[in-house]
Amino acid sequence: MEQLPDFWRTEVWHPLTVHFPVAFLSLATIFLIAGYWLRKASPIYTGQALLIAGTIGAWIAVYTGGLADGIVSRQICDPTVLEAHENGAFTVAGLFSGASALVIGDYFGLLRQFRKLLRITIIILAITGSGFLAYTGHLGATLVYQQAAGVYTPSEDCKEFTETD
Amino acid sequence: MKKTLFYSLFIVMALMVGACGGKTDVVDSGTYDGTIKKVEAEKTEIYVETSDEKTLELYFTDETKLTQNGSEVPFSTLEKGQKVEVTVEKVGKRLDPKAVKILE
Repeated sequence: MEQLPDFWRTEVWHPLTVHFPVAFLSLATIFLIAGYWLRKASPIYTGQALLIAGTIGAWIAVYTGGLADGIVSRQICDPTVLEAHENGAFTVAGLFSGASALVIGDYFGLLRQFRKLLRITIIILAITGSGFLAYTGHLGATLVYQQAAGVYTPSEDCKEFTETD
Repeated sequence: MKKTLFYSLFIVMALMVGACGGKTDVVDSGTYDGTIKKVEAEKTEIYVETSDEKTLELYFTDETKLTQNGSEVPFSTLEKGQKVEVTVEKVGKRLDPKAVKILE
């Protein structure tokens, strides 16, 4: 008889961790643009904090994605989508890491003479990163909703659910 | 001028980051000769570069037979640079390795 698998499977850690950086990095981009545009400190600080937290989260998601990859690659029908998703994730993490490094540099007053250029670059990296983030997220969604990556498919009679009450 | 240079640098950087990561190929079911490019032991996965310069990403399954000199050997025998003959089955766009023969 079919048995309901444990919820805390290796491949489940990726969806559990990936949504934080998606939200943090998208919001960081909005706050940074607003802050630099309006020349207001508080949205800039919020954006910077979200950017750094989101970047750390992005690398955690890359790590958990790598763990999930070893499992779902054997089950899905088109691993080329997974490969594009993985490459996109590295790009996102790389771009936002660059932006975070510049934010930290800006915070500590490094490259003070290039401050304006530095901030423009942070915005460019964040916008480019957000574009890749949307694309990578879309690929992740197609993996789940079109190929059932990491998803348990219940048996036709749902017997495993009645047994686990 | 400085600005243009700076922007160009970041566009190039973005493209470089975008280009990073492996590119693998999908081939028809069959047997291919190649060289192991990378072994990922924790995922029981290998990358094989075929003689026509295609990279196959192969995740071992319970059905994959790994042999050397006619006898079955464990996954840990595989090393980067080894010449192998792989028999794969194309399922959708996934390549399931049915047999991997170490040639040296």
